[in-house]
Amino acid sequence: MNDNNKDDKTLNHSRRQFFKISTALTAVALTPSYILKAADDNMDDKIAELFEKRDLNIEVNGIVHTLSIEPRVTLLDLLREQLKLTGSKKGCDHGQCGACTVHVNGQRVLSCLSLAIMQDGKKITTIEGLAKGDELHPMQAAFIKHDGFQCGYCTPGQIMSAVACVREGHANNEDEIRSYMAGNICRCGAYPNIVDAITEVKQKGGTI
Amino acid sequence: MGYYFEDGDRVNGKDIVTGKAKYTAEHDIPNLAYGVLVGSTIAKGSIATMDTKSAENAPGVLSVITHLNTPVVPGYDAGGLPIKTPVSGKNLQVFNGPTIYFNGQPIALVVADTYERALFAATLVKAQYNKEAQVTDFLEAGKTVKAIDTAKYKDNIRGEVDGYKNAPVKIEAEYIVPIEVHNPMEMHATIALWDGDDKVTVYEKTQNIKSAQRNVMSAFKLKEENVRLYAPFVGGGFGSALRTWPHCIAALIGAKKTGRPVKLVLGRDQMFNSVGYRPYTLQKIGLGATADGILIGITHEANSITSMYEEFNEGSVNISRSLYNCPNVTTRYKVFPFNVSTPTYMRGPGEATGAFALESALDELAYKLNMDPIELRLKNYAEKDPENGKPYSTKFLKEAYKLGADKIGWAQRNPAVRSMKEGEWLVGFGMSTGVFGAYRNNAKALARIFADGTLLVQSAVSDSGPGTATSMTKIAADGMGIASSKITFQLGDSALPPGPGQGGSSTTASLGSAVHDVCESLKKKLAELAKDAAVFHTETIHNPKPEDFVFENGYILLATDRTKKLSFTEVLKQNNLNQVEVTEESKGSEEMKKYTAFSYNVHFVKVLVHPTTGVVKINRVVAAADAGKIISYKTAESQIIGGAVGGIGMALMEEGVIDDRYGRWVNNNFADYHVPVHTDVPHIEALFVNQPDYILSPTGAKGMGEIALIGFAAAVANAVYHATGKRVRELPITPDKLI
Amino acid sequence: MINFNYVQASTQKNVTDTLMKDGTAQIIAGGTNLVDLMKRGVAAPQKLIDINNLSLKNIEQQKGFVRIGALALNSVVAENELVVQKFPLLSKALQSGASQQLRNMATVGGNMMQRTRCSYFYDTTMPCNKRNPGTGCGALKGYNRMHAIFGATENCIAVHPSDMCVALAALNASVIISSSRSERKIAFTDFHKLAGTNPEKDNTLQRGEMITAVEIPDANNFAQHSTYLKIRDRSSYAFALISVAAALDMNGGKINNARLAMGGVAHKPWRLTTAENFLKGKAATEENFKQAAALAMKDAKAYRHNNFKLTLAPNSIAEALKIAAAM
Ligand SMILES: Cc1cc2nc3c(=O)[nH]c(=O)nc-3n(C[C@H](O)[C@H](O)[C@H](O)COP(=O)(O)OP(=O)(O)OC[C@H]3O[C@@H](n4cnc5c(N)ncnc54)[C@H](O)[C@@H]3O)c2cc1C
Ligand code: SF4
Ligand code: FES
Ligand code: FES
Repeated sequence: MNDNNKDDKTLNHSRRQFFKISTALTAVALTPSYILKAADDNMDDKIAELFEKRDLNIEVNGIVHTLSIEPRVTLLDLLREQLKLTGSKKGCDHGQCGACTVHVNGQRVLSCLSLAIMQDGKKITTIEGLAKGDELHPMQAAFIKHDGFQCGYCTPGQIMSAVACVREGHANNEDEIRSYMAGNICRCGAYPNIVDAITEVKQKGGTI
Repeated sequence: MGYYFEDGDRVNGKDIVTGKAKYTAEHDIPNLAYGVLVGSTIAKGSIATMDTKSAENAPGVLSVITHLNTPVVPGYDAGGLPIKTPVSGKNLQVFNGPTIYFNGQPIALVVADTYERALFAATLVKAQYNKEAQVTDFLEAGKTVKAIDTAKYKDNIRGEVDGYKNAPVKIEAEYIVPIEVHNPMEMHATIALWDGDDKVTVYEKTQNIKSAQRNVMSAFKLKEENVRLYAPFVGGGFGSALRTWPHCIAALIGAKKTGRPVKLVLGRDQMFNSVGYRPYTLQKIGLGATADGILIGITHEANSITSMYEEFNEGSVNISRSLYNCPNVTTRYKVFPFNVSTPTYMRGPGEATGAFALESALDELAYKLNMDPIELRLKNYAEKDPENGKPYSTKFLKEAYKLGADKIGWAQRNPAVRSMKEGEWLVGFGMSTGVFGAYRNNAKALARIFADGTLLVQSAVSDSGPGTATSMTKIAADGMGIASSKITFQLGDSALPPGPGQGGSSTTASLGSAVHDVCESLKKKLAELAKDAAVFHTETIHNPKPEDFVFENGYILLATDRTKKLSFTEVLKQNNLNQVEVTEESKGSEEMKKYTAFSYNVHFVKVLVHPTTGVVKINRVVAAADAGKIISYKTAESQIIGGAVGGIGMALMEEGVIDDRYGRWVNNNFADYHVPVHTDVPHIEALFVNQPDYILSPTGAKGMGEIALIGFAAAVANAVYHATGKRVRELPITPDKLI
Repeated sequence: MINFNYVQASTQKNVTDTLMKDGTAQIIAGGTNLVDLMKRGVAAPQKLIDINNLSLKNIEQQKGFVRIGALALNSVVAENELVVQKFPLLSKALQSGASQQLRNMATVGGNMMQRTRCSYFYDTTMPCNKRNPGTGCGALKGYNRMHAIFGATENCIAVHPSDMCVALAALNASVIISSSRSERKIAFTDFHKLAGTNPEKDNTLQRGEMITAVEIPDANNFAQHSTYLKIRDRSSYAFALISVAAALDMNGGKINNARLAMGGVAHKPWRLTTAENFLKGKAATEENFKQAAALAMKDAKAYRHNNFKLTLAPNSIAEALKIAAAM
């Protein structure tokens, strides 16, 4: 296969054309006739859907999903709106709060700035995948014990971030914990208790 | 290794840490459509024309609703908001006419089948305006903009007008608190579902379930039983969710128009002009005292803002009338209508604004008098309410001063400015007092005990973070004499007995009293049911009365002979009952009218200030509170910690900025509007006097949420002054103000 | 956000060819800036070229320099052994930027290419020459607390927001830029440009080009005495009001050589060569640091809300030098 083929591995010509049209909503004249016909039959939504969607294989909390999605769907919206995994929170949608923190291939990232389509073949862990059945993850238990939350909305993000923080080796003292947790805003202000929870988990040791 | 819940852990903690807790936008509703609001791009004028064609034609769009095609909202004023001057309680009526009152005002609602499509289509809606010149700049206040002039804005004078002016020692200063925005982490959201023409289900982010229900009822003229409103988990509010805002009505409009359930979630940018904020307030303080520190007069003026359509006012100057014993107090309060959305109460509301000014000024006076700031406060300690002479229900402020001062080592500091250092960092200590009225509102609760010994307690209240379910469970456990683990406290549903709104730090006192009372009634009922049981009838015992029983560990026992007991389960069985329930409404007592009730919190702060870069680090925080009896220690501590963190934000970084040329927000996001992050917050030491106030409520609790924040910013400003000799009177205290 | 076409590139040539052919195509790496801009309608590429499958992640020692691939993650670079050992300044600058989650996504190339955080640039209803040439500069007479004090024009007073780039500028790094036809290497300080008359362009990258690596010369003695000082409105997760990268090559109390660059002050990472030259051969004293700082401030110009930078900047330079010297 030469480079040029690989480049556009999924899009054929007419699809690309339609794409431009349906997004820019102009230049109807360029639209292939069978699409115009379908549009006349009031099927343009269906067609747009078909043409604008792409295949995605993604493993979330151990379950492989085979999906068809628009490339503009973020990982966060995929989780919350399509997979109904609402544990990952939206606090800003612009990378400015950390509420949407999930693990992708073991690394903590912001799902609101991750395009779902770019996670093809990756393993995602969300807050829903942290506990083993009924048994809470030690970080979850420590958050309860230390009252590391109030309203609870930032909490899944804090916990996912905290678990990664310990795994990365960035939880050696309180100041280091604070620095490496700085990307998780808690408007209720549960910070001191969160630091206590992480410190305890870190000190207990073991693999988490 | 499992985790065993301890007493004091939050009862809903497991749902929260596992991600199972469902916040407003997270309820799984079949056939859901997505609504996105489009905001105006001018701040004043009217919509001339609207172009919604391309939005309507965009893939997946179900409807584009504007003032031109909106379904009629029967509770709205016909023909648009008839506003000449702002009216109290007159919320923006969404899509009701072409008039624009502020930049970002909703002008259209796009409803589509997916979130992405709705968002995209919303960018295609275009409007042409007849633009008029807006005013958002406070410099215009008093010039082109006149303050609202009604009776309630009359000067309020105790003793001599501006009596401070005649004192031998005087302080006069101006203080500014900028716009601050609640910004709870969960963005406001509504899911609206119509069931026919006259029945709706609403999932709403609210701190006040019953009021939200009433708002929906009155907007659409619906019967109470036909409006079901849920808010099982609320991701913070700090006041923003006390009211029902236009977007909620917009979601209902969208659902009505499309015949589908509609979910509408505000964007973070919309959170700045849709759900209130703490208004910009310019204050002037005049303090007069004798040379030995006896206050002779306080004058406190506050000038604030509201929207063009709705009057908003708060207690910014009240603190100066009540905190200290002072014969001559003059307060003035003015509110100017601007082309902005309506402000609302934000944690600590006006009192926090006022406390920054008063408690900073007191520190200035203390330095002028060369007197310890605590001593100055004690010299002017009010033993009874200076406004009306009433005694306090309880007041342990003196104890709080001592508790906090001892803990932080107040006496060991060198009070001279710029006298203390750690490395090259300047060290400063500061303190201030926070005070807030302790309130109790009406509340109803239901308690139902089942044959298996478990207890269900219900009330239509929501929990935006304080841990209401946890403290209510605790009160019920103590009241009934059963383990917390056997109790479920159910909230977040308008069909439950009416609970109070979660505002003004009154939830625990109000609802706690209802829970306390309903447990008392339930015990009476159980005693009634038990009194004829065989075990309670022996040769020595005859016809026990309900008051002869005590309740412990799920048993009803005879007080005089505790070997005579019957489990609740047995009581029900013997009476052939599956369950027993009672509902109680609790109101403030008549007795309370003879008293004044306040909660207090004394803040102590140690700061480090870098001498050349102006960086401020909060190094230590000690809070000592008189909040009545502490019901649940863990959550109470969290409240104080949370208030202090809010206070750090207010003191050091929070400032909403509007570009007056456009009347448009410029920092309406979490990257530019700074709130504290982990590294800004040290360990916070929360201390409680923990003395019950049984006059206010049978639980002994006063309020906690507001005092946690009120005054905090002044403690920081005072500490910064101690460290640097610079008095910052305009919040926030950013590095530029210290170099 | 508009919908777009998404392709995964498997070779560099794929990328540069597509960029050349299709003016509406844009590279996506970590996505932390681009996705945000697309959400706000500031960027609307019709095609995204995902370059994450390219092997541009390596960090390796070469003769006379360390080469860092354009796709190396900010978090990885910050903790890479070579970097920590030889360029602690770069490590520190990276750690002070964004948050760990973002650093786990952000790439070196993306960081260089990130756009200004000027609020007017982000709000598509506001005038902004950078976003929409010819509409005027919203910030010039608006809210400009975060804006430039050096090298700005009336056309645009925005600053480049990166921390990493300030360190790379100080370290005399070079940028490797590839197109389908050739590869070129330019000084890091020549990569970003001043606003000039065409603020819509942040840098000197041409159509059809991409960044493939940066190279940092390691034949120097700056590692022992260097620091990155970042002053901001909160202690973390915030962009700089002022930042200073300072590196000294010291011999006892004497400065052999100095490197200084600032962030938060100009449309590009701002090298302070006059101050560097002044410090050469001087004693590491507070007085000299202050003089160097004062020299660096020549030609600085403030706007309505950023006047404080005229004081904060020199104070920060002196402070950073003090910290670096004391190490
Ligand atoms: C809330 C927040 C806070 C932040 N704080 C800071 C901070 O304090 N300091 C700081 O320095 N940064 C900060 N950042 C910015 C962050 O560092 C950048 O967003 C990130 O570095 C961009 O890298 P990316 O790989 O994600 O780029 P992308 O978003 O993928 O791309 C950005 C741009 O670079 C182009 N591009 C990417 N790779 C290449 C390449 N190899 N060749 C040519 N073009 C390319 C893309 O086409 C796009 O135009 C912050 C970001 C956020 C969201
Ligand atoms: S400073 Fe630059 S980016 Fe900001 S508004 Fe002006 S032109 Fe646009
Ligand atoms: S929602 Fe992703 S960072 Fe805020
Ligand atoms: S617990 Fe409410 S935001 Fe963190």
